[in-house]
Amino acid sequence: METAKEQAAQYTLEPATDIPKSNHYYLNMGPQHPSTHGVLRVLLEMDGEYVIKAQPVLGYGHRMHEKMAEHKNWMAFMPNTGRMDYAAALPFNHGYAALFERLCNIEVPERAEYIRVITSELNRLVSHHLWLGAFLLDLGAFTPILYTFDDREQVLDILEDITGSRLTYCYFRVGGVCKDIDDKFVERTRAYIKRQRERFKVYNELVTGNIIFLKRVEGVGIISPEMARRYGATGPVVRGSGIAYDIRKAEPYSVYDRFDFEIPTGTTGDSLDRYLVRLEEMEQSLRIIEQALEQLPDGPYLGKVPKKLKLPTGDANFAVEAARGELSYYLVSGGGDMPYRLKIRVPSYSNLSLLPELAQGMLIADLVAAMGSLDLVIPEIDR
Amino acid sequence: MPPELLRMIITAVLVVAFVFLNAMILGYMERKISAHIQRRPGLMEVGPHGVLQLIVDGLKLIGKQLVVPEGSSPFLFRLAPLLSFAPCVLPFVVIPFSRKLQAVSMDVGLIYILAMTSINVVAVLVAGWASNNKYSLFGTFRSVAQAVSYEIPMLLSLLAVIMMTSSFSLEGIIEAQKYYWFILIQPVAFIIYFVSGLAETNRAPFDLPEAESELTAGFHTEYSGMGFSFFFLAEYANMFTVCSIATILFLGGWKGIPLPFYDYSGIIWFLLKVYGLLFVMIWARWTYPRVRFDQLMTFCWKYLIPFSMANLLITAIMVKII
Amino acid sequence: MHPATEKLVNELNELPVAVAACDYAQRGYHYEVDVAADQVRALAECMLKHDMYLVFVGGLDVKPVPRVVYQFASYTHPGRFVVRAAVDENNMVPTISDIFQGASWHERETRDFFGIVFADHPYLKPLILAEEDVDLKPLLKTEEALKDISEVSWPAASDVSSKPEAKNKAEQG
Repeated sequence: METAKEQAAQYTLEPATDIPKSNHYYLNMGPQHPSTHGVLRVLLEMDGEYVIKAQPVLGYGHRMHEKMAEHKNWMAFMPNTGRMDYAAALPFNHGYAALFERLCNIEVPERAEYIRVITSELNRLVSHHLWLGAFLLDLGAFTPILYTFDDREQVLDILEDITGSRLTYCYFRVGGVCKDIDDKFVERTRAYIKRQRERFKVYNELVTGNIIFLKRVEGVGIISPEMARRYGATGPVVRGSGIAYDIRKAEPYSVYDRFDFEIPTGTTGDSLDRYLVRLEEMEQSLRIIEQALEQLPDGPYLGKVPKKLKLPTGDANFAVEAARGELSYYLVSGGGDMPYRLKIRVPSYSNLSLLPELAQGMLIADLVAAMGSLDLVIPEIDR
Repeated sequence: MPPELLRMIITAVLVVAFVFLNAMILGYMERKISAHIQRRPGLMEVGPHGVLQLIVDGLKLIGKQLVVPEGSSPFLFRLAPLLSFAPCVLPFVVIPFSRKLQAVSMDVGLIYILAMTSINVVAVLVAGWASNNKYSLFGTFRSVAQAVSYEIPMLLSLLAVIMMTSSFSLEGIIEAQKYYWFILIQPVAFIIYFVSGLAETNRAPFDLPEAESELTAGFHTEYSGMGFSFFFLAEYANMFTVCSIATILFLGGWKGIPLPFYDYSGIIWFLLKVYGLLFVMIWARWTYPRVRFDQLMTFCWKYLIPFSMANLLITAIMVKII
Repeated sequence: MHPATEKLVNELNELPVAVAACDYAQRGYHYEVDVAADQVRALAECMLKHDMYLVFVGGLDVKPVPRVVYQFASYTHPGRFVVRAAVDENNMVPTISDIFQGASWHERETRDFFGIVFADHPYLKPLILAEEDVDLKPLLKTEEALKDISEVSWPAASDVSSKPEAKNKAEQG
């Protein structure tokens, strides 16, 4: 193992273009590989089972959302936002809607902000459930994904009732949300929270304490805080490395500053820490939802928004904490009702970019575990 | 027709039929058990509770084209599934299903079975090599290393039982368990044997040769249709063989509460015990994550082999004293 | 202002860059920095020294020359910097991918979309776009759509009356 690591250390991060050393060979992991979750290709230079170099190849699901944003008016782009990160679409809605509210100084009714927080957190739970199942599937445990999908289904049913869709939401509007929540929603959400708390016990018993699971993830894919910073990693990846960075706390948007919740952090930054951080985050999301339901004010769910929104000239940025980390919309406007330029900074993009350094000298099985723990959604990276 | 030839033909037909039947039963079991472990109904569409699904699947697999990948060696590629399947059928010839339900009685039945099951490694090697696919080759390397390593604790644990009975004959070993099953005095050997058996048959948590989240499907990545089915049949036949050895050596074979026509009806006890063990195998597969390759090897060389050695030594001393 | 941010701003002021504090409520970031292409690396090193991380690198096609937009933020304290660097006469900006390794992909993407070349980048091959689309540059504006940098920037602070949100408010009323 040491020799492979030493060999790997001799290489720079710059991907290989020349012919590999005679005892090395290339392996294409993807784009149709079971554990690259979508259409990611990782070009691996291997020595036996050891990865000498890993080079992700992107763009298989590229749709040029940024160009589309420049050619649609601000409202027409809203459905696109839900189609980048299909696992957690509502935070993407949220960032986009809030960006225009910030730019045009539009007031959002309090109730709408609460609804946004509740649904966004529910969506975060959906996303983390998906990740949990898929991550364990990567490790060869088939069963947990069915359990997590069972729970995920409960949330999807709740969200479907008010948003009208199950995956690619387009629920938020500039100035609020498009449909009010009712008592039935509140009731079902409360019941779900109760149920989910019970289920966490099952997860912990089945998975967290399993010796094979621990052996597979402990000390695998260690990301140091310094490395996370150089790559601009955010979200659970950076929190797993022990940095308590969460946009919900660092730059509180919406009404997140009114809730009492913690930012879970890891200590070593290995795959196990990222796993534990995400599990704890799910619990924190439940706490936020609970408090939000408690404080939910009455009032309109959609503020007064002019029919024709005139964008000012200038630029604005809005960062939200999506399920995978920091999502930033940076908009440059030249007036009119179409953005001049919309840069979408997606969290998985930066989180994946550290893979080449992370993968050096790893076993291929560890690479799969480490990639699973990064929680990648490829259409979000490709945009 | 000489009676000996007739006997051989009947045996051959029955054995092959049983291998297919076993694959269907196990396939159904696996899918139903996994479904219930995963809280879903599983097979439900074809026949009552989906019992006919495996027949339909079999027909589908027979109807499928065997795609030979470009750059592979077509002869070896086609040969490998047969090479895998044929030796898996042969152990069934000597397995004593009941006192009188045994096709051939051999003095070295156990050695014969172990020799036959070992040939599977060659088939995997050929399949992986001929596929001209790096994932297949990976699976092959893993499979060979794994099978060769785990054969050692497996044999050592069996040797403990053989020391006690001083017989390689399967009937002899069953007869020796007249008063008690050997699992009671050789629990360590049984556990070591069963764990090595899981590894030998490439079952989770030791299913590294086909680890689909790492190697897509390992050594049979490139196989479709009947090529794949033969590996599938071989895997289930191997599982059955491993479990029947466990039953014969540790669980008293066909012995149980005497039933009418006991010379033949012992098969009921035998099959119950074997399928009970198979159930545990399937249960383990759908519960545990997969181990990593170095962990698999460490487990074998650092834990299983020393423990089986110690077990063998203690058994030897005890046999000498008693 | 957080003391760490203050220190960073002071250090930035020593470089030949223009740092301007902004209204966070309106723009969503704290500082706007204008920088010439040759100062980008010095600025990035300064950011690295002060525990900032790179949020993104993007392009902006404007007259007279395209800009490269960098955004930096910090894990530990609020302080978001939007840095705009004008490309030099060869349509080039020095790479910062050896300072912030995460910039490598962002720079490759910007090269894909805008054709801006990042000097000394070790591997400036198409990332998001396919190999054959290396000259596509999809986000470059057409001649008619291309705007001047002043047309896409906030109006000067004195020009309050023409702020569009005031107009929006009037329309609402």
